[in-house]
Amino acid sequence: MKRLLLLITLILSTSSIFAYDIIHPIGGRAAAMGGSSVASQGLWAMQNNPAGMAHLDKISLGLYYENRWMLPETAYKCGAFALPTKFGTLGLSFNQFGSSKYNENKFGLAYAKDFGRYLQIGLQLDYLLLKIGNDYGKFNAVTFELGIQSHVTDKLTLGTYIFNPVNFSFEQTLNHEKLPIVFRFGMAYQFTKDFIGQCEIEKNTDLEGVSLRGGLEYEAVKNLYIRAGVQTNPGILSFGLGYGIRFAQINVAAQLHNELGASVQIGMIFSIGK
Amino acid sequence: MKRLVFIILSLFVVSFAKAQIAIDTLSTEALNNLLIEQVERLAEDGDEDADYEDLLENYIFLCENPVNLNSEETMRLVELHLISVFQYEELQKYRRFYGNFMFLDELEMVEGFDEQTVAIIRPVVCIEKDQSKDKITLNKMARYGKHQLVGRYEQVLERQQGYAPIDDSTLLAKPNSRYLGSPQKLQFKYTYNYRNKIRAGFTLEKDAGEMFFTDKVSDTIRALLGKQYQRGFDFVGFHLYAKDLGIVKAAVLGDYQLAFGQGLTLWSGMSFGKAGAGSSVMKQGRGITPKGSASEYAFMRGAAVTLGAGAFSGTIFYSNRLVDANISVTDTLESEAEFVSSLQETGYHRTIGELQDRHAIRQQIVGGHLAFAIAHFEVGYTAHHTWLSVPLELKPSHYNQFYFQGQRLSNQGVDFKYVKGKYAVFGEMAMSFNHGTKTPEPVEGPTQAQTAFRPFDGLRAQGPAYAGLIGLTVKPAGYLNFTIMYRDYGKAYQNLYSNAFGEGSRNQGQRGIYLGVEAAPAPYWNILAYADQFQFTWLTSQVNAPSRGHDYYLRVSHSFNRRTQAYLQFRSKTKMKNSTDAFVFSHYPIFYTKNAVRFNINYQLGWDIHCANKAEYAHYRNDDGSNEHGYFLCQDIAYKPENKPYSLTFRYAIFDAKDYNARIYAYENDVLYSFSVPALYGKGMRVYLLGKVKLFNALTLYARIGRTIYSNRDDVGSGLTLIEGNHKTDVKAEIIWKL
Repeated sequence: MKRLLLLITLILSTSSIFAYDIIHPIGGRAAAMGGSSVASQGLWAMQNNPAGMAHLDKISLGLYYENRWMLPETAYKCGAFALPTKFGTLGLSFNQFGSSKYNENKFGLAYAKDFGRYLQIGLQLDYLLLKIGNDYGKFNAVTFELGIQSHVTDKLTLGTYIFNPVNFSFEQTLNHEKLPIVFRFGMAYQFTKDFIGQCEIEKNTDLEGVSLRGGLEYEAVKNLYIRAGVQTNPGILSFGLGYGIRFAQINVAAQLHNELGASVQIGMIFSIGK
Repeated sequence: MKRLVFIILSLFVVSFAKAQIAIDTLSTEALNNLLIEQVERLAEDGDEDADYEDLLENYIFLCENPVNLNSEETMRLVELHLISVFQYEELQKYRRFYGNFMFLDELEMVEGFDEQTVAIIRPVVCIEKDQSKDKITLNKMARYGKHQLVGRYEQVLERQQGYAPIDDSTLLAKPNSRYLGSPQKLQFKYTYNYRNKIRAGFTLEKDAGEMFFTDKVSDTIRALLGKQYQRGFDFVGFHLYAKDLGIVKAAVLGDYQLAFGQGLTLWSGMSFGKAGAGSSVMKQGRGITPKGSASEYAFMRGAAVTLGAGAFSGTIFYSNRLVDANISVTDTLESEAEFVSSLQETGYHRTIGELQDRHAIRQQIVGGHLAFAIAHFEVGYTAHHTWLSVPLELKPSHYNQFYFQGQRLSNQGVDFKYVKGKYAVFGEMAMSFNHGTKTPEPVEGPTQAQTAFRPFDGLRAQGPAYAGLIGLTVKPAGYLNFTIMYRDYGKAYQNLYSNAFGEGSRNQGQRGIYLGVEAAPAPYWNILAYADQFQFTWLTSQVNAPSRGHDYYLRVSHSFNRRTQAYLQFRSKTKMKNSTDAFVFSHYPIFYTKNAVRFNINYQLGWDIHCANKAEYAHYRNDDGSNEHGYFLCQDIAYKPENKPYSLTFRYAIFDAKDYNARIYAYENDVLYSFSVPALYGKGMRVYLLGKVKLFNALTLYARIGRTIYSNRDDVGSGLTLIEGNHKTDVKAEIIWKL
């Protein structure tokens, strides 16, 4: 309870009341690598930079749960489904942050297309729903997110992602509270076949300052990945493990915040296909 | 609805994303990036309102009229700091050993020419037969001369306070509360060029707010303005220039710029100064250049000629033009004495007050330069004399008491340069002599108080005062060079046309030492770093004591491949200014520091789409220890298909800087020949879209729309530029007709 109070105080002191918290790196791999994800590929890219799912070649379903600060009230629950087609990859996603008293929900319809090695483009249309318990009401908004990725060299991948580029708002709220714009870009560098480094910068217009994130991934044994990362603003260190076989992957991570303590994340992806 | 337009625009850009393979042709990308960085640094140094067009005019001219590698023209690459003097020497050596260049690819074989240098200069050099000896005939001039006509229109779409309707009586009560003209800015420019040897042109300009032919004012205001009533193009300039005609090395009639030595005695245009790269600290005077830009302040108008024979060359010039000034009148019993309390440098004539100052006094300059150059050594002597038709008497203050005042000023200086092997030594010593004005005879009687009130009881001759700089550049190895430079500009050194290396824009009352290094420690890695330590030996504006400071800079760049370059840059500058603490009696100067970190990456998506990301962080530490932070992130996408007559450039940026002190300067692509580096602060986003279409071979159209949207303000700007609303939209259109 004490921790919850501290958390609420922190949130209230650093941002506006409607700091919309749902734009947050998703996936056990991203969480373990300090949240860096804008130049990553895979199913969870749908939430972090939709361009990254353009390369997906299997029908995939993912589930993700984050017990943030070990409080059920600040948990994230996500689901995603991706269907690769001839015309590009289609995706459906659902995110929820919070508990029954206060929750933020995002429903997304994503599409990503591969234009060759140098360019992948992704787009996600979002329906956002904010529910506050005790009859304070429901508020909804629509917006979209855009991303591009480019494999500029054999080793270097660059990515840019913008959530809500035109600054939509929750029209029903008293002050037409603006949704934040979240803008991130960064790179992934494949040092060797089994070693990747990533870094990125993010600006969320609801928060003071920018967040810098970096992470490393090493394939220690075949199919077993160890990961570590760091993030600033808030300052978080993170660690994680991943194991993947042909039709399933499981990624776990732990994040440590000096004041708020630990968070744990677990993500699973099931794929069907060749 | 507006939002919808933006969505459509952004989708439009994305929908162009069809990768196409084309041949990698020569592009000025590397040169552009170099200039962008320098212009940004220049803006950060405080020359925010600087007319970049004037500075970049020479680069643009170079892009359109490449220099012949097999001629002496390559010196122009040094003058514009695109290659160092060492590289120039290597180029000459190469030609001596192997003869003329046959292919541009040979450039990479010249010692000291790394990939980066070649990428920068390749688009601005060509190989042709040396035609400098060819006879010029009218027939040839008519057939091979290139004509170009440029028309440009600019406007801020929202209504600014200065254009709001007002009735005459209110305006008469507060005459400077409105602009008299329309909010459009218009410019026309015509230039003619025959093989870089004969050039001519004229420029017409009307700034936003200045009265055009169609604008009308009431008779009372017209009567108030009297002969200062001015409609139509506010700036009209022309030039006629020839070079390399036998003994005449260069001659110009009309508007021109002069640049000699290290710029301490005479350098009338702008220069990059500290913003340039390490080895560009050593300047290379370019002598006479015609001026086609519409900048209205620092230039010469008259005639100049350079004659040369053997190792000697000599230049004489005369300039006579009207400049803007604020005229005041003191009454004495017998007569009225006019004096000028300030010279106006903006070139704007939009309000009644600005119009009254327009072209108020005449400035004449006469002077010359003598140069002697042998193999590795060059020495020059410059002298000039300035008259003002009305004496300048500044509002007396402690900081400006050594500034130029009076009516006549003489300057002279000696510059030298020695470049051999691994060493380059350069320097300049200059002297100023202020002849003052005649002190009016003191008058007995009741007006004595008024006479006595005049500053500094007349302006006696001051001087002589001295200024000097000396520098050394050493290149121990091909991948490394460093520069040491010392400057000491006397506190009473006065010069209206100097532009030497220094902190701030005044070459006066300053001492400093500069250390710079440029290195390529590993393939594809470059480092540029400098440290500059300076002292102001007298008070400066808003600094109530002699002060000091330092400026540190580090930039590390890396090329991932030919089309992907990134750099990381740190800058930290500490200077002094008066404390703003309300509880201290005397406002003594204290230190303040501004730090900035920037990451920039340019890359290409396939062949046709050019992208760039930039992230910048600015930090400002106030005197009370509080900190201000500024952030800026942007994504640039440019669709430039090869062999297609069109291109589109788009930027999406967000910024968050609480205060002006933590502002961020971000260069923006613009219509050709125009440059914008807006200072962003507050919280919001900035987008722009720039399109280019080449209709026929001869006709090119540009259009640009940009908008800044603030999320924490209800109005933008202040004073006459105040806009009610949280956004500011600027539009520009340009038409270029080449023949």
